[in-house]
Amino acid sequence: MNKDLISGVVLLAVSGTYYAWSSQIADSTLSDEVGATGLPHVLSIILAILGVLLIARAILLRRARTATAAGTDDDQDAHLPRAIGFLLLGAVYVFVLPFIGYVAGTALLIGAVALYEGAPRNWVVLAAAVGGAVFYWAIFVKLLGVHQPVGSLFQGMF
Amino acid sequence: MTTFWDIIHLLTETPLFFVAIGGLTWGILGGALPGISASITMALVLPFTYTMDPAQAIALLACVYIGAEYGGSIPAILIRTPGTNSSAATVIDGYEMNRQGRAGEALGISLMSGVVGSLFGLAMLILLTEPLSWLALAFTPPSYFGLGILGLSVIASMSGGSLIKGLAAATVGLMIATVGTDPISGVTRFTFDIPDLLGGIEPVLVMVGLFALTELMSQSGSSTVLQLNETIRIKLPSWSMMNKLKRSQTIGCILGLFEGLTPGGGGSIAAFMSYNEAKRWSKTPQLFGKGSEEGVAAPEAANNTVASTALIPLLSFGIPSSNSTAVLLGGLLMHGLIPGPRLFEQSAQVIDSIYVGSFIAIIAQIGVGMIILPACIWLVNRPRAYRAGFIFALILSGIFTLNNSLFDLGIALALGLVGYLMRIAGFPVLPMILGVVLGHMVESSYRRSLVLSGGDHMIFLQDPIAVCLLSIALIFVVFSLSREFRDARKTKIEEAHS
Repeated sequence: MNKDLISGVVLLAVSGTYYAWSSQIADSTLSDEVGATGLPHVLSIILAILGVLLIARAILLRRARTATAAGTDDDQDAHLPRAIGFLLLGAVYVFVLPFIGYVAGTALLIGAVALYEGAPRNWVVLAAAVGGAVFYWAIFVKLLGVHQPVGSLFQGMF
Repeated sequence: MTTFWDIIHLLTETPLFFVAIGGLTWGILGGALPGISASITMALVLPFTYTMDPAQAIALLACVYIGAEYGGSIPAILIRTPGTNSSAATVIDGYEMNRQGRAGEALGISLMSGVVGSLFGLAMLILLTEPLSWLALAFTPPSYFGLGILGLSVIASMSGGSLIKGLAAATVGLMIATVGTDPISGVTRFTFDIPDLLGGIEPVLVMVGLFALTELMSQSGSSTVLQLNETIRIKLPSWSMMNKLKRSQTIGCILGLFEGLTPGGGGSIAAFMSYNEAKRWSKTPQLFGKGSEEGVAAPEAANNTVASTALIPLLSFGIPSSNSTAVLLGGLLMHGLIPGPRLFEQSAQVIDSIYVGSFIAIIAQIGVGMIILPACIWLVNRPRAYRAGFIFALILSGIFTLNNSLFDLGIALALGLVGYLMRIAGFPVLPMILGVVLGHMVESSYRRSLVLSGGDHMIFLQDPIAVCLLSIALIFVVFSLSREFRDARKTKIEEAHS
């Protein structure tokens, strides 16, 4: 199925969902003439029109047997599962951070990403992960004074 | 009236030199860290200025601002991550030059264009602060609306060959900007009872998600491995190159001056507009987006100009034109300094320190920049597997710094996925970012205008500044559309011939 066609359908779906959500925005006595729903409604209509245009263009160009995927990257398409796997490492980091804290979490993230990206399984990965985590902890926590999560497992140790 | 001897006194009797260098270095480091904006870099140093001499404290903050604006271009070029909002436009050609093995050249052009822009901005700051102060006062809600529309008008030429997709991306960006508390009535929109969404989605999250995370995912999924030449070193542009960049730097300086003077303008709009105009006036517009030196020089000259010229409305009337100048205003107030004409009379030393400190920082930028840049290149040249891990950890750490919120991390990761899917489908991300950055200003100023006029849209045609800005926006759009149709027609004819 044509990518532009799918994109157009997705835009229509986003537009419809956004419109439905915007209709649930509460009224306010302080509201002006346009109101809190004014812009959202206009934006959802514009997006719907653009979605329809994209679908129409995709169908017309398909009929004309013209290349329609200008600017798209098939290589990116093929590697989508791997890219999502990379992102999931970040999601796991966000999930475990409150429990194991910044230093351990960051060390795990650096190590996991390095291994996922093909680093050989040896002591260098461990050293880089621990060294990197301590380095970032020194910059963000000690130098910049940012309160990164200590971790419920290590509460009271720092 | 400040005399030459006052300047000499400032340089010899106070440690202003060290304050300027320290502020610059801190600014470059902070700006180079993805997720840490110029304003955050300044805010982090603000508590340390509490016990300082007011003149030195304000000079320090001004120098941090200068450093951060330059520092933001370093990750923009090396890892496709704008360190600050205003360096987002530098990503386009800066990173492309990096991919072509010309990272050192791009960094050198960025550095020198930044110096040119900063010097021009400082000169304008000294010359125009008092005479042009009336302009900032003249801005009304319709003027702000005109400014926002002017910023959005560049989308037409940044759609990457598909205007529909560019407009759709911008619309989604505007939708993201509507999340949070309504600017007029105060009701919540699209927050789903999540407290973290009450303040809206920070533009920096969108930028980091769409630029940095998408790129990391892309490099992970791609079989093409980015390997920089280990011999890459900073290559300052030659005289002939500087001569070639003259036009784009001039465009950047002029638009940087314009946007710096404009409350709410900021470096982001100036950078994108100057990129757009540099492309329009270039002899080789076809190279833009493919590693054009002018595409790096114009936005860098612009955002560095803004770092100085944004101080004009701030010092004259206390109107902060950006987050960074808002922090600087906080510094002034913390030391009991009230911006305005009396500041020039009663605290002339503070003004002089800003001027002299900024000058020192700008000149020192070449040396300090060259010392720090090799370290950045070294970092990029580490094995990709480790580099990806370190960059990913740095980005997530930086995002957490914004609000100490894990929710922000989730938003950024989600936007990373959105950016990747947009890349697959051929949607440009820049219009979406512009939509997010300008959405709040456009909506709030539009509605405030209508409140003032009782719903009469003629208010936008009665305000001379708004009319001027909207006219320029219209001209931009018409030019961009005509060029797109011309290019499309040309391509069609070429295809027919072949």
